[in-house]
Amino acid sequence: MFKLNLKIALRSLFKNKVYAAINIGGLAIGLTAFILMLLYVNHEESYDTWSPQLKDVYQVREKHSFFSPDNEDHWQEINDSRMANLVRENIPQALAVTRVTADWGFSSGYSVKIAHADPVMVTGMKDADSSFFQVFPYEFLQGDSESALNAPKSVVLKESLARKLFGTEKVLGKTLKVLMWRNDPGTDLTITGVVADPVTPQSVGFNALMRTGEEDKVPESAGNFHYCQIYTKLNQVADTGALNQSLLKIYTDYQKKSLVQRKLQYNEIYKNGKTPGLKVIPLKDVHLNPPFKLSWVEKLRPVIGISIFLLVVSIINFVNLATAQSVQRAKEVGVKKVLGVYKRELIAQFLVESALQSMISLFLCVVLIEVVLPTFNHHFNVQLSFWLNPQLKTMLIQLIGLFSVVTLLAGFYPSWVLSNYNPVAVLKGSYESGLKGVVLRNGLVVFQFVISITFIIAIGIMHRQTQFMSNKDLGFERGELVNIKTNYDESFAEKLRKIPGVQYVATTTQVMGNAFNVPEEIIYKGKQLNMNTVTVSMDALPSLGVRVLQGRLFAKTYKQDTINTVILNEAAANLIDKKPVGKSYSIKDGDKSYVFQIVGVIKNYHNEGFDKAVLPTIYKVTHLGGTSSTNNLLLRLNTSNTGEIMKKVQSEWKQAYPDYPMEYKAMDDVFADVLKENNRFINMIVLFSILSVSLSLLGLFALSTFVAKRRTKEVAVRKVLGASNLQIINLLNRSFLLLVLIANLISWPIAYILVKKWLDGFAYRIDMPVYPFLIATIVSLVVSALTVSIQARKAANGDPVHALKYE
Amino acid sequence: MIQLNNIEKYYANKGIKNYVLRLVTTTIKQGEFVSIMGPSGAGKSTLLNIIGMLEEPTYGSYEFLGEDVTSLNERKRIELYRNHIGFVFQAYHLIDEMTVYENIEAPLLYKKVGSSERASRIADLLDRFNIVAKKDLFPNQLSGGQQQLVGIARALAAQPSIILADEPTGNLQSAQAEEIMTLFKKLNQEDGITIIQVTHSEKNAQYGNRILHIADGVVKEDVAVG
Ligand SMILES: Nc1ncnc2c1ncn2[C@@H]1O[C@H](COP(=O)(O)OP(=O)(O)OP(=O)(O)O)[C@@H](O)[C@H]1O
Ligand SMILES: [Mg+2]
Repeated sequence: MFKLNLKIALRSLFKNKVYAAINIGGLAIGLTAFILMLLYVNHEESYDTWSPQLKDVYQVREKHSFFSPDNEDHWQEINDSRMANLVRENIPQALAVTRVTADWGFSSGYSVKIAHADPVMVTGMKDADSSFFQVFPYEFLQGDSESALNAPKSVVLKESLARKLFGTEKVLGKTLKVLMWRNDPGTDLTITGVVADPVTPQSVGFNALMRTGEEDKVPESAGNFHYCQIYTKLNQVADTGALNQSLLKIYTDYQKKSLVQRKLQYNEIYKNGKTPGLKVIPLKDVHLNPPFKLSWVEKLRPVIGISIFLLVVSIINFVNLATAQSVQRAKEVGVKKVLGVYKRELIAQFLVESALQSMISLFLCVVLIEVVLPTFNHHFNVQLSFWLNPQLKTMLIQLIGLFSVVTLLAGFYPSWVLSNYNPVAVLKGSYESGLKGVVLRNGLVVFQFVISITFIIAIGIMHRQTQFMSNKDLGFERGELVNIKTNYDESFAEKLRKIPGVQYVATTTQVMGNAFNVPEEIIYKGKQLNMNTVTVSMDALPSLGVRVLQGRLFAKTYKQDTINTVILNEAAANLIDKKPVGKSYSIKDGDKSYVFQIVGVIKNYHNEGFDKAVLPTIYKVTHLGGTSSTNNLLLRLNTSNTGEIMKKVQSEWKQAYPDYPMEYKAMDDVFADVLKENNRFINMIVLFSILSVSLSLLGLFALSTFVAKRRTKEVAVRKVLGASNLQIINLLNRSFLLLVLIANLISWPIAYILVKKWLDGFAYRIDMPVYPFLIATIVSLVVSALTVSIQARKAANGDPVHALKYE
Repeated sequence: MIQLNNIEKYYANKGIKNYVLRLVTTTIKQGEFVSIMGPSGAGKSTLLNIIGMLEEPTYGSYEFLGEDVTSLNERKRIELYRNHIGFVFQAYHLIDEMTVYENIEAPLLYKKVGSSERASRIADLLDRFNIVAKKDLFPNQLSGGQQQLVGIARALAAQPSIILADEPTGNLQSAQAEEIMTLFKKLNQEDGITIIQVTHSEKNAQYGNRILHIADGVVKEDVAVG
């Protein structure tokens, strides 16, 4: 029985090759998009799941405004290092607490020298105190977790790094010289352990974990801070809420005492709704809740939505074609019913058929995934694999689940329609007139097109916004500007200035790609205002090529420029005074007060993505300006021959800092990076739209084929009565075009709302344009008309005699 | 075998009852070969469908093998289809995706007949109807007459006690029609299968042993033949 049904299923697939191909291929595409998304989600969800003991590990977060992009208070994972002791001493459940260097993301790594080999850059070198392996349950292949970091100047390597550096994991006792910046004399570290690479990604990832001693120190003066990340292992905490409450109380008491020592007023700091805050969050929530950034879930939300839509579109095709096709199978159903078959047996039979098709789709999809995965990995900067996935078992279970859902979704309705055919009606031959399924089918076509048209509109608008951004005036000249990842050093800068073609060498704390915001409260005409301050060297603003709106830029000829003059950007000037040049403001530092004079106003320049507004900013050259730790060394070249000059810069660098490789980036590339995230998103939307639109058109094509076929007789009769081919094409087109038109009307508001939301994410954005809406409508109507006409023409050109003879 | 009492069938259209059958009362005994005749639209097919339990009468009672079947549940009805009733259609209604062999096999599969028994029965039928050479062909590769032979073979496969045929030769040329009618007669006489057929042809009706004449939903005449 089952065998026979399977045979019938295969035969009817072969008989309708084109539709079967559209059905199965479409479903495979929908599934592929969905499974790729699933792989990615699984990957993200697998963060910090590599050991069951990690459930007792927590991250400490403090609420403060340092390093925040908007100078407001935020829950941050970079905390005052004193918090470690606070937790250790006051929380009885804390079994271990460790301090780890903050992930600043400035430098791409440290220079590592082994014996007399050339230095290599190694990424993921983290510094921690001795308790790191008491908190994180890494598996030691060499050495042991108890004693590995007991001695300062020790380092534990991941197996993968040990193999890369030494070719073996038997490296206990060997030494590495680590240089953290270019004129760092270097620290010799002894390898005291090798740990296995965990199978799933880690939010506290490292390649080498050092104990240099930096993280052991706590600044003595209450006014000095060392910032780091803090993790703790707690003894079976059931209720984090209660723990966090006591933590908050401890922190508040501590802040009161600490502020007194720093001669600050608790009530002055914590006012206007500002409150102190310290809490722990489970490690598994850390990856999900990055401070300042969108979490992967939020970033992925549109993608998840889209891939689900794509799957739905392909399932809709499936349902549509299957119900349309069911007419062909009606006779089989009628006959079987009079031969004595139960309805449920019929439903089962047709479900098996759709299962067969979704099975084939699934196989196709696995092949497709293998094909596109490398590109996908490259595009999203991840290392996903299907077969070598550590969660292959979960994946397979998910796939089986997906398979069942798809089969049921795609197969149930058609089976139900089919099994409900009344044998008398069917065998009489009147089954085609039934309206059954037509309403649903039309509804599904509309739904499908709503999705596709929304995509088309979105692409149009996103394209406009992208163009707007890439052509937007940044407020500084990004061409022929290079940023070397290092601090300013006068003697080195002098050497560079001697290279012909180098116009300026300067530094600043704020430049696109590496901006470091420092909040400051100023008093202007008795008013308190919050400003962002940036420290620059004399030449920084000219080398950026900013535009002066009022007054002047800093210059050596003005002695006071290194002491108490400032330049504002437009945003700051708008806050303070329309004509601020020559006026002054003051700042308070404890009991003392300093006065600064405003000498110029420059046009706002961008140093973040276009999603963030430029902060009101004050630029200063202090006597520290040249040497403060900025990690930006700006080089303005006055020739386009960048490569040649950078070679010379490189050789100067090698002479000055032989143990540290030079890293630099052209500002053009930095800007490209800023746009990258957005472009990536848009590329994806474009890809998904193409898929969705082609799936919809394929569906429409197949559906129109069926309708044309079903109406063959009607068409033949009309032709015999004298209808022209064009009239017949119109006849078949009319109903479909009406559907597409309805879909357009529905898509407009949906697209408007969605794209508006997307646009609102940009501080600098275009006005909502109208023409993408019109274009989407015209394109969808024309393309649908063409698609349907292919079939309609065939029907119209058919020989009426033939059609009437074999009705 | 079949007992119809005051069977009525009407379709209500805009509040008006359009009677298709009126007070049909008749008995058909085991082993009879009945032909239903009458003008187009008289209600012949409707009557046959009611007998075949494909349609329900609006009024009246119907006993099949001594059992009241006017409102039978699906399970019971399907049991009757599997074991007692074979249908033959004017348009053959073979399943296009199945070969001749599989078409004949289908009812046996539903009846859960064992595979060796199945093979022998099918071989027997193929042989008897002279279509052994065609067993692996699909319906669209056969002539109309051949298709109807397969249709009848399929109806017989489950060894029913009654065959219901609605204009079985309606689409066939007279030579082929004769062949089918001879076959019916043989089945009726040699195997004792009850046959009820609808036909427009006086000639075909002569193969049976009783004719019911219907006009406007009423049995006008009930005559014995031969
Ligand atoms: N679903 C229906 N709704 C309304 N009237 C119906 C329906 N089905 C059948 N009829 C009517 O019932 C009457 C009898 O139909 P039936 O098919 O039994 O005729 P018939 O005697 O088999 O005719 P023919 O020889 O043309 O096959 C016809 O007048 C037809 O219009
Ligand atoms: Mg009829």
